Amino acid sequence: MIRLDAVTKRFGATVAVDEASLCVDRGEVVALLGPSGCGKTTLLRLVAGYERPDGGTVDVGGRVVAAPGSFVSPDRRRVGMVFQDYALFPHLTVAENVGFGLPRRERSTRVPKLLSLTRLDDLGRRYPHELSGGQQQRVALARALAPAPELVLLDEPWSNVDPHLREMLRAEVTEIIRPLGVTVVLVTHDREEAFSLADRIALMRDGKVVQEGTSEELYFAPASRWAAEFVGAANVLTGRVVSGVVETPIGAFAANGSSSAATAEVLIRPELLELELDPDGDAEVVAREFRGHDVFYRVRVNGLEVVSQRPSTEVVPLGARVSVRLHDGRVPVLH
Amino acid sequence: MRLAALLAILAATIAAASCGGSNDTLTVYSGREEELVAPLFAMFTGETGIEVEVRYGDSAELAATIAEEAENSPADVFWAQDPGSLGAVEEHLDPLSDGILGMVPEQFRDRDGRWVGTSGRVRVIVYSTEALAEDEVPDSVFDLTDPRWQGRIGIAPTNASFQAFVTAMRLAEGDEKARQWLLDLKANDPKTYEKNTPIVEAAAAGEIELGLVNHYYLYLVKEEQPDAPIANHFLEPDDPGGLVSVAGAGVLESTGDRSTAERFVEFLLSPDAQRFYVDEAEEAEYPLVEGIAPKPGLPPLEDLAGLDIDLTSFGAEHEATIEMLRETGYLT
Amino acid sequence: MTNRAGRGRAIRAPLPLALAAGLVVAALLLPLAYLVIRVAGGGRAIEILGEPATWRLVWNTVRLAAGVVVASVLVGVPVAWLVTRTDLPGRRFWGTAAAVPLVIPSYVAAFCLLGFFGERGLLAEALGIDGLPDVRGYWGSLAALTLATYPYVFLLAQATLRGLDPALEEAAGGLGASRRSVLLRVTAPALRPAVGLGSLLVALYTLSDFGVVTLMGYDTLTRAIYVQYGSLFDRAPAATLALVLVGLTAVAVVAESRLRRKGRLYRAGPGSQRDGVVVPLGPWTVPALVFCTSVVGLFLGLPAGVLGYWLAHGIANDQQLDIPWSEAINSLGASGLAAGFAVLAAVPVAILALRYPSPTSRALERLSYAGNALPGLVIALSLVFFAARYATPVYQTLALLVFAYVVRFFPQGLSGVASALEGVSPRYEEAARGLGRGPVATLALVTLPLVRSGVLAGAALVFLSAMKELPATLLLRPIGFQTLATEIWKLTQIGAYSRAALPALVLIAVSAPVLYLLSSNRRFESGGPG
Repeated sequence: MIRLDAVTKRFGATVAVDEASLCVDRGEVVALLGPSGCGKTTLLRLVAGYERPDGGTVDVGGRVVAAPGSFVSPDRRRVGMVFQDYALFPHLTVAENVGFGLPRRERSTRVPKLLSLTRLDDLGRRYPHELSGGQQQRVALARALAPAPELVLLDEPWSNVDPHLREMLRAEVTEIIRPLGVTVVLVTHDREEAFSLADRIALMRDGKVVQEGTSEELYFAPASRWAAEFVGAANVLTGRVVSGVVETPIGAFAANGSSSAATAEVLIRPELLELELDPDGDAEVVAREFRGHDVFYRVRVNGLEVVSQRPSTEVVPLGARVSVRLHDGRVPVLH
Repeated sequence: MRLAALLAILAATIAAASCGGSNDTLTVYSGREEELVAPLFAMFTGETGIEVEVRYGDSAELAATIAEEAENSPADVFWAQDPGSLGAVEEHLDPLSDGILGMVPEQFRDRDGRWVGTSGRVRVIVYSTEALAEDEVPDSVFDLTDPRWQGRIGIAPTNASFQAFVTAMRLAEGDEKARQWLLDLKANDPKTYEKNTPIVEAAAAGEIELGLVNHYYLYLVKEEQPDAPIANHFLEPDDPGGLVSVAGAGVLESTGDRSTAERFVEFLLSPDAQRFYVDEAEEAEYPLVEGIAPKPGLPPLEDLAGLDIDLTSFGAEHEATIEMLRETGYLT
Repeated sequence: MTNRAGRGRAIRAPLPLALAAGLVVAALLLPLAYLVIRVAGGGRAIEILGEPATWRLVWNTVRLAAGVVVASVLVGVPVAWLVTRTDLPGRRFWGTAAAVPLVIPSYVAAFCLLGFFGERGLLAEALGIDGLPDVRGYWGSLAALTLATYPYVFLLAQATLRGLDPALEEAAGGLGASRRSVLLRVTAPALRPAVGLGSLLVALYTLSDFGVVTLMGYDTLTRAIYVQYGSLFDRAPAATLALVLVGLTAVAVVAESRLRRKGRLYRAGPGSQRDGVVVPLGPWTVPALVFCTSVVGLFLGLPAGVLGYWLAHGIANDQQLDIPWSEAINSLGASGLAAGFAVLAAVPVAILALRYPSPTSRALERLSYAGNALPGLVIALSLVFFAARYATPVYQTLALLVFAYVVRFFPQGLSGVASALEGVSPRYEEAARGLGRGPVATLALVTLPLVRSGVLAGAALVFLSAMKELPATLLLRPIGFQTLATEIWKLTQIGAYSRAALPALVLIAVSAPVLYLLSSNRRFESGGPG
């Protein structure tokens, strides 16, 4: 559905997108995840046609829409976009907003359908400023979906919403979009959002797509220390590599992924570190943080501190001596 | 409803804007004020059946307009307040026929016959009759440098009529004497005004005792304030301060209809038109055509026009006058 | 990732837009081209620039412009603050009354001030005093021009204060800042763009004004240009002085854009239509009332009173007084057309400058100010020069007159359109494009409806200026076409003040509704050359 090949976009001296490449398949939901300023919104705008790349090609739906010397304007790309601030036309009613992208004759049939799809049936005659934030978002979605695009782009759709509402709104949007089978690209800096919604995640840093994969791949097999730390809490340990085994201060583990170097960094997610009360253990719990369903423990082993995340049903008191064990014998090596 | 009102206004405006413009009419650029001369145009149309379109404006600005229009000027006739404005566009004026030129004494027309004077105006001293008796008013501008008049004189140095008077002084008395007079007058701290009318009003209000103006402004101000305590004092005939100048008219080279244009100029010199200044107009200008006496109470023109200077050269001399006024601090 | 709006420069400007904007600015530069032709033809430019007299004129001009700007700010900003942010009794009345002087032509203002404060004016008469000190010269010019121009600052400041997100001030207050420091550290910086743009309009007006300085006998560049045109034979000196004025304009425009660059943060978002914090005046109520009374009394009551007096005087003297209906309709029609075309011309320039920012588009926008400080006479003569030669069919038609108004007052139209456009997020236009609408449909269905109030405000400013315009009207109007301004001129020419008072009052009366539209427009925010 989308193929970006070495796309570059500069704003003056800053390079917002730096030879980024990405493929999105038809029907897939892909999240562009990355910290603020990494270029993910710019990448989305390049796909929509709001920016013109300085290099590389953009291919949408099997058609080259931007390449050196050629450019297809946004109105000819058939891409639906939901903006971060929704950009609902303030001078038009909800129904007029939704019907904006439709030919006149289709409006009377299509608009009510979309309003009911997005559960806005009674609000067609209201103006955007008379709606709640969630309602506004559904209007934006309905408007983007109205021309039946094959590709919908969502730019940080929940960044302006209170955290406790976010989950509900996410569920709402998913419910609406998923059954339609459209291809979705979502921009977010929130890893949980990306994990919960996306089939696949493209992780961006400094204008580049640094890793693509499913949520699990990204979480358990990040390509770099930065990626490992960005997508979740991480213990990163350095150890000596001896024939496929990494020897770290907390133990020796089979390395998942080879490394020819003499030393390597490995990732151990906190929830993979199991603690067992053990008066003879070589580790000690030095801090304890209760988080509801989980408890985070800070454990000192051989002069090194690591974090362990355990369900709150297991209780390990502060100051207890414990032994540390890896849930699964293999750990990913970071590059 | 509101839209209808809007459209009605626009339609009316466009109608008003496009009512002129046909080719059979005569176009006159008039530096003379509409309120004063409009009846003369009506009279001309009444007599000849020729419609006249008049663009009213300031004489100098209209002259500048003609200069910018050059050969594309839509104007047929330029009727100006002063010889200077006419002189400024002389290259765009066609010489008038001898018949017309002959109607006006030589001293009141262009040397090369490009324009003729149509009415005369005399520089006078307007004075406050509350402050002064007539015999206290000087008979020569050269007396105005007396310290007695410190701060009591009104002048309009940016006005064409004052500048023409200075040109007359330069031509009659020489640059040296003129410059000295200007400096001496300056030492007397005269009050400056934009033009003649405010000077006369200032005299009426008692702001000043004397003012250097053209004679007819007195009557304009009297119309507004019939009881104003002001009067004109005529100077010695050979005093440059008593310069007799003219408003005049010329035909533009670019006119498409020379004969109609000349007919209009001729009309301005006709007895009816000349008598207009005597019988109708409040402002009491002097008729220039022989045999028609000015308004009763005005001294005859022959007794005033004793200065031997050529109005034709006023245009060419203007620059030097401006320069002198600048040097002496009257203009910046 | 949130502030892409600032540098969300998308695609290169579409050719038709660039062409339209270029064409507009080229038309606005005609007067400049004319001046260059004239200066080149005369060849005395260097000599004139070397004369101390010229620099004296520049100094006089700058001194007056600076004085009028300072006075306008000192009058306009406090009144704006009092009527929007305090519990001043009768703030609606003061707010309306303080804007009205915008409809009084500056030459009428000067007449009225002189008629009242003149050595033997009405005041002297009333007091029975034998001559007051002469008010003409610098101070008289300053007063009359302040009267005519402070409403620009007032209206812009008022709009900003109304639009200012009250949360900003509340937040500062919540952080324990005293009321005075909120005023200095939050309100004042937020006002900077409005005050800057207002000052620019005031300065440009002052630079180009002829009527006031002539009546008040104060020598400025513009007055000297008129005197030079009176000397007729060589037009190069006048043109040289006019180019000096253009230079001063450039300085003013650049200074203003420097000032603005710091103040953009404070634009009100859509949603912040709550009324701001109301400051109780307490013991300051009486001084505030005295201040407002003096401003409105001096700048509105006095001219209206003097005009009324003259009118009554005329009626008492049995003068023939006809209400100038046709002149009023002509003024309304020509000014209305000018307002419409000015904002129409401003749209491509504003869109180009704000949506496709580049050195070129910014330069185009600034260039559109070039002719704004030129005296009306110079603009008129430049159009005479070009139209008589190259556009004979429109010469001396309504079309050319309207064109002259557009050339003269374009920046006022632009300021309205640009400020409104600045407040409209480009996301709306992108959304429309993304929904399959082309650039023209996007402009018609989204951009224009959203900037409507700004367009109206800009049109209103142009309209009010065109209503008052005299010098260009005199030379370019179709023959026989009388406006209220030419009617006033015609009658004051012969000193018939009591008869001139009627068209002056009619001018004020028919302009007032448009002014009301302007001052009640909540979305009229500051904007201008960026």
